Amino acid sequence: MTTQSIETIGEVGIKQNKFNLLVWISERGVFVFTALLILFGVFFVNGFASVINITDVFYRAAPIGIVAVGMTFVVISANYLDLSVVAQVATAAVILIGVSNDYGLPLAFAVALFVAVLYGVVNGVAVGVFKANAVIVTLSTTFIGLGILRWLSGGSIFFGPEDGPVRAFGQAKIGSVPLSAIVLILVTAILWFVLTRTNFGFVVRSFGSNKEATRLSGVNTPLVVIGAFVITAISAMLAGFVLAAFSNTAVSTMSDGYDFQALAAIIIGGTSVFGGKGSVLRTLLGVIFVSVLTNILVLSSIGFGLQQMAIGALIVVAVSVDALARKVTKK
Amino acid sequence: MTIDNSPPALEANGIVKRFGGALAVDDVSILVAPGEIHAVVGENGAGKSTLMRVLAGILIPDEGIVSVNGVPLTGGAKSALDAGIALVHQELSLIPEMTVAENILLGSTPTSFGFIRAAELRATAAAALDEIGVSVDLDESISRLSVSLRQFVEIARAVARKPRVLILDEPTATLTPAETDYLLAMLQRLAAKGMAVIYISHRIPEVFRICKVVTILRDGQVVDVTRIEDTTPGAVIENMVGKELKQDLDSRRDATPGEVVLSARGIRAHNVNGVDLDVRSGEIVGLGGLVGAGRTELVRAIIGADARTGGSALITVDGAPRYITSYQVAVRSGIGYVPEERRTDGLALSMTVADNIALPNRRELSVFGVQLRKKTTAFVTALATAVALKPPQIERNVGEYSGGNQQKVAIAKWLGRKPQFIVLDEPTRGVDVGAKAEIHRLVRELADTGAAVLVVSSDLPELLELSDVIHVIRDGRIMGTLSGAEADEKSVMSLASGEKMVGA
Repeated sequence: MTTQSIETIGEVGIKQNKFNLLVWISERGVFVFTALLILFGVFFVNGFASVINITDVFYRAAPIGIVAVGMTFVVISANYLDLSVVAQVATAAVILIGVSNDYGLPLAFAVALFVAVLYGVVNGVAVGVFKANAVIVTLSTTFIGLGILRWLSGGSIFFGPEDGPVRAFGQAKIGSVPLSAIVLILVTAILWFVLTRTNFGFVVRSFGSNKEATRLSGVNTPLVVIGAFVITAISAMLAGFVLAAFSNTAVSTMSDGYDFQALAAIIIGGTSVFGGKGSVLRTLLGVIFVSVLTNILVLSSIGFGLQQMAIGALIVVAVSVDALARKVTKK
Repeated sequence: MTIDNSPPALEANGIVKRFGGALAVDDVSILVAPGEIHAVVGENGAGKSTLMRVLAGILIPDEGIVSVNGVPLTGGAKSALDAGIALVHQELSLIPEMTVAENILLGSTPTSFGFIRAAELRATAAAALDEIGVSVDLDESISRLSVSLRQFVEIARAVARKPRVLILDEPTATLTPAETDYLLAMLQRLAAKGMAVIYISHRIPEVFRICKVVTILRDGQVVDVTRIEDTTPGAVIENMVGKELKQDLDSRRDATPGEVVLSARGIRAHNVNGVDLDVRSGEIVGLGGLVGAGRTELVRAIIGADARTGGSALITVDGAPRYITSYQVAVRSGIGYVPEERRTDGLALSMTVADNIALPNRRELSVFGVQLRKKTTAFVTALATAVALKPPQIERNVGEYSGGNQQKVAIAKWLGRKPQFIVLDEPTRGVDVGAKAEIHRLVRELADTGAAVLVVSSDLPELLELSDVIHVIRDGRIMGTLSGAEADEKSVMSLASGEKMVGA
């Protein structure tokens, strides 16, 4: 009987080791494609390999990257995505500038944090406790959030003072690396630790892999879902700060498209929409890939419409590869 | 076994069906005459359902031929259906959102140019319901019907195809006694009109009420075919369980049960109708019964894995009693639960052995929520060795292991918690013989170290071998309690099939 067990393992093991292009792309593709894309940019695209351009890529990548790294938790927990990051980022940006103008930074931080946690809890309770569909819940909270924001702000644009700390933060660089990119790297490092080294991260991955088995292991699963949405919301808040500081302005429409761009980075990074499998480092790589690709398209004078089309097509391919690869590994 | 000289309605010869290496149906032949109600009986896993799926063309046999009215079937389910074989499934297969009429004609909906001929649909459905003598609103959606009414609609669906052979797989499992009477009378009416009926059931009394002939299956083989008037319920049960499996009493533990650890009173839940149950320290309590008797529902209601509608469960650890008010409370209080479906409920297959074992133990393996990796590895390795995981590679995904090894992991994840009360539901289903022996050893060791153990098993020899006490469940109630010494296959099956009631 011993031999039978080992044979079973051996047999499956060989199956797994057999090369499959789809599995390979879904697991390793992003590393190779990002490297190729950067090499392509360096050798064939005018103006790509300049300090000014790289700094610009950093600036643009930072806020989306912070959102995407946080949202990776929701995706890994097998709850699709959090569309309401669009409203969360804009709300945090408006609070940072609007509130700090009149009441100072500490209160702005406090209010923004409260609103972020509220977003996370509302989304998390609806999805984790009431088992509502995450796409529809967060689409609705986007409406609620943007509605409230536009109602309270009157849709106006907020400007920070030219000599204020927000502006200073937005302009700060270490060498040619903007501070916002440092924030992205810090957030990624922290969330990497949370996801791979803490019990919370462990149960998020486990829940994404098998909800019922995780529940039957004694895990308070609604809390896991709430936690994943709160982490996403706090990341979105930080992204809102970074975005507001970059331009020293805030308006309710400034984060349009962030939901989709963050999802693009997560999926292209190789985190599975089926849950359980993925990492924030992959998402960071996905962000770099999407940002570099967009940058190359811009430098090549390819219009916004075609850029959009390219990212959309990439996601369809990436999601399909994920689904097909999953079918293969499921033997 | 034909009654007269007319050709048999259904004839199957030398049917063999394997799943992987396992023989599910082993050289089975069966002959059913028109107008005959033919029972097929056997224990759980005897191969009844597999055989019926072969007859209905859902499974293609590896060997053997099925013929209807002397004409061999060539293709799959469609050709069996066309030849006049209709199967009423054990699991209901109706579409809840559609109406009664739509469901009855599902798959044979009358259409013209893609448009449904509504009047004809209703007329045909009404005729089918009329045929079985059930009145239900044709336009009611299935989701609003009771489970028993759905069962009758399911039968109407089969009858609407005007079959020569009607196969019913455990049709009375969800019915009340009055509804069962009605169903049995209806089958007799259909048979009187010349329809051949194959009736699969665990319930021996029903078989003796309506069937003419009974085929007894055991381990995939026909052990007996006999006219009903030539046999007795006792003889049928004896044939179902087999004499060669007689209990080896030497393997029984010398148990000296201690204090009551788990005390459940008046447990009610879906399919559980008021159960009192005690499990003592060092004792292995077995729950016997047929599939669908409510055993899984009972244990899940006790430990709070599913909601109870009534009753309470008290767990006493180190002299401190605590009510199990939720599943998380149960786990924190020191229960372990190895569910029936290890692949969907017991394990996260795409995670590693280490992750699966660490999951319920994560609090002990961390400081302020940060995992202690070395401690975890040592902990997991020790448990993998204790359950004899082969090979003991804890960084492999559980899904890559064989069923027996997966089950060892599903048990190992609780062992490290030194559970005071552990529930194992079908602990060796789909497990090879070697792993089965190792799992039995683990269960005994748990009891020997003072755990209260509750085992649900449809594998009778296993239940008899492991249990110090066996409660036999039927219809969500304890029908009888047998001590390990007095229990044998026959006494358990008699209680499980409702042939008689003893003890309690």
